[in-house]
Amino acid sequence: MPALLVEIGVEDLPAEEAADIAQSFRENLLSGLREARLSFGKARLFWTLRRFSLLLEDLAERQEDAVEEVRGPAVSVGLDPQGNPTPAAEGFLRRYGAGPADLVRKRVGEKEYLFLRLRRPGRPAEEILKEIIPQAVRLIPCSKFMRWDGGMPFLRPIRWVVAILGDKIIPLELAGVSAGRKTFGHRFFGRSLALAKPEEYVAKMKEVRVIVDPEERAGILREAIRAVEEEYGAKAALSEDLWTMILGQTEWPNPVVGRIPREFLGLPEPVVVAALREEGKFVPFTRAGEIAEVFLGFAEGEGNPEVIRRGYERVVGIRLRDAMDFFAQDRRRTLESRVPELKGIVYEARLGTVWDRVERIRALCRALARELSLPQDLLDRAAFLCKADLLTVMVREFPELEGVMGGIYARLDGERPEVAAAISEHVRPRGKGDELPQTPLGIALSLADKLDGVIGPICVGEVPTGSRDPYGVRRRGSAIVRLILEKGLRLQLFRVIEEVRPAYPGTEPAETVKKFLWERLRSALEERGISYDVAEAVLFEMDGDFLGVWERAQALQALVGRKELSDLALAFSRVRNITRGHEIQGFDPGLFQEEAENALWQAYLEAKERVERALAQHQPAQALEALLGLKSPIDRYFDDVLVMCEDQKLRENRLGFLLALSRLFLRVADLSRLVVPT
Amino acid sequence: MKTFQDLILALHDFWRREGCAIVEPYDLEKGAGTFNPATFFGVLGPRPWRVAYVEPSRRPADGRYGENPIRFGLHHQYQVILKPPPADIQDLYLRSLEAIGLNLREHDVKFSHDDWESPTLGAWGVGWQIWLDGMEITQFTYFQQMGGVDLDPVSVELTYGLERIALFLQGVDSAFDLRWAGWLTYGELFRERERQFSVYHFEKASVERARTMFDFHEAEARECLSLGLVYPAYDHTLRCSHLFNTLDARGALATAERESYIARVRALARACAEVYLAEVVRAGAFG
Repeated sequence: MPALLVEIGVEDLPAEEAADIAQSFRENLLSGLREARLSFGKARLFWTLRRFSLLLEDLAERQEDAVEEVRGPAVSVGLDPQGNPTPAAEGFLRRYGAGPADLVRKRVGEKEYLFLRLRRPGRPAEEILKEIIPQAVRLIPCSKFMRWDGGMPFLRPIRWVVAILGDKIIPLELAGVSAGRKTFGHRFFGRSLALAKPEEYVAKMKEVRVIVDPEERAGILREAIRAVEEEYGAKAALSEDLWTMILGQTEWPNPVVGRIPREFLGLPEPVVVAALREEGKFVPFTRAGEIAEVFLGFAEGEGNPEVIRRGYERVVGIRLRDAMDFFAQDRRRTLESRVPELKGIVYEARLGTVWDRVERIRALCRALARELSLPQDLLDRAAFLCKADLLTVMVREFPELEGVMGGIYARLDGERPEVAAAISEHVRPRGKGDELPQTPLGIALSLADKLDGVIGPICVGEVPTGSRDPYGVRRRGSAIVRLILEKGLRLQLFRVIEEVRPAYPGTEPAETVKKFLWERLRSALEERGISYDVAEAVLFEMDGDFLGVWERAQALQALVGRKELSDLALAFSRVRNITRGHEIQGFDPGLFQEEAENALWQAYLEAKERVERALAQHQPAQALEALLGLKSPIDRYFDDVLVMCEDQKLRENRLGFLLALSRLFLRVADLSRLVVPT
Repeated sequence: MKTFQDLILALHDFWRREGCAIVEPYDLEKGAGTFNPATFFGVLGPRPWRVAYVEPSRRPADGRYGENPIRFGLHHQYQVILKPPPADIQDLYLRSLEAIGLNLREHDVKFSHDDWESPTLGAWGVGWQIWLDGMEITQFTYFQQMGGVDLDPVSVELTYGLERIALFLQGVDSAFDLRWAGWLTYGELFRERERQFSVYHFEKASVERARTMFDFHEAEARECLSLGLVYPAYDHTLRCSHLFNTLDARGALATAERESYIARVRALARACAEVYLAEVVRAGAFG
């Protein structure tokens, strides 16, 4: 079966989006093929900023044939009493060019109908591809659509299309461009090229100085970075964004190492790192927390490395000189003196200015200082100053330095070191993989910052739904959960939320915020390897002590697969089922009659003491251990005692006791929600 | 050696051959060549349009007292408008770099994503900064909107940073060392001017009088618009824009107020675009 190559040639895509565009093209095209019942073998995706291409092995030459059933008249209408077709059925047959022998009967609901089974022969692959290739491009979700000549809108102009099946061109049109076999190599070091067949794509493109395989380019990048690290004993200060940019910027990457002029090495390390990384230009390196004197750039193609290095060093010098100017300019004023000007920056129309936001963060910090036993005055000072760096030139020019710059300026202003550290840490984590703050004040301030970013939008009705989350509420929610779980923060989160809710506008109640965060906790548990049913068992009731929930989930997860646990879960399910719907407070052990009742009562008392002690010491594994001891007494109880007896007083006393027993279990987990092997 | 003026003449020559009308800088202060009426009005409406010109562009906040090798309160843009753009526009642009004497096979040339937006003009487009060995030497934009109006056909705007390109051509590190003509340096022409304007814009400009002038020109622009006098209205809009830049450089505007000044200029620019399309283009009185 033939191979297929499709390459869409474009004017340079944004480096940060090129990979996503290619990926979505692949998904669209493959799902188009599946829908069209065209089978294929291995699929390989390639991209650079000037092209995205899919190479498919063993594409079926035709669609599989399909059988389609068409419904005709009801049997009572279509056949006469002798079973011969009536004129109604004949008309139906004529319409599809079929004979009476092709008719079948089938019941639909109450009635029987005549059906025709039609074989639809598969169409040739070429015909299908003519439709689904353009469609696969049209359906790519671009961050922004542009027009260039009145044709279809796309992220950047489409300038050529290669579409070859076997050795034949698929005659299709896309954005006013006719597909062919002509592609273009590197802009300066390649040439145009006619591809004879799909299989030669990768090798032929290399001849014209294009590495179409992103993995191969990534290898070159990694190797060059490693070489610099080794030679200079330094570590590359990469970020996810920077990596995406350098991987997306070149078709034929060539590493060029430059040096930072000595006069700039005195700038704070984060400033130099930000200036080099800006727009994905250069890879900075650090050595023992200080900026190293080298940087690395990747030139597009095979230009003169000496010329390029001089150019790189000049542009780095210009930007670092700027940074020195910004630094000097910012240092003319203290951070504190800028705070009132935050009243001039609108944070969000409904949520007021950044000043308002700072006031709310301070309120959150008051509650958190109490919950976490932190020095209230220092935390408040850090909260008060934490957004002031938004008004500095440095942060305006290098937005990634938000917070970090505040910390640096605060230290130079003579603020307490722990206050400065909290300011610099409070913006973390910026994304999923980012480091968390380390200092206690930094952790609390970050938590307050993220909480404000969740409570505010939700209160004014911006609850994230599906893929819509314009305020990044979900990301912040995950950061809150991460901070609590990974930093081991023991606090009543819901109490904090209820306390600060009056400081927020909008009509959504605190309950909505709590529910939202509870769901973030559920995702966090599942991401951390807690199975679905264990999560259910600890999340059955909302609880503001997220850390406690997480600890109970881990303790329970550790027992999953052990027979004692499933036995206990079954025993508890009996307790849970029989007491369901009853609300009886209190019972009198003096009314117990059976020996099994007294035995369970004794076991309960003992377990209760152990569970309470274990939970008070945050040792849920020990609490579970104590509950395991109740399994046999419970089983015996249900064997010997008739709970639902005639005598109402006795019955209610027994139910009352079982409810108390149930409540004891529920302080650890609702084991009846565990999936137990049968 | 290619002097600064040689560079300008080479670009003129290249774009003249590509069918551009070589027009002159506009005689009012402006932040970029985009504000020249040859661009602002030229890209509106259906008529094909190709122009090229040098535009001395004033950005008071970018002034550095003549002490920074590559930042100035006034720099020189070379502006090209191609409406509609040809399909080989990227190659055409690169050929223009070869034509001014850059051997691109020696260098690292990248088209780096940079979508352009002018909040004061109510304009946006998508495109790139072109990096030559890491330095931005051109802004390349497919205009999508101008004055709040969707463009059809779209235009490509090429804005070359002449000082930066000249650094490469003359192999120097500071623009002030560039030769403008064989006997005259860029520094001799502009350094003192840069210093004085930095002193003026950062330290001395009267905030009160600048605000008053802004209000005055805004009112005048409104008056002209109501009379259908779109070109005079546009001139007053340009003056407002420059006065806003002055106030901004002077540090006189708090964030919220800054936004409101931008909105006032944008409203004028939008009104100019609308009046132009309604009265000038429709009446066939173009130009």
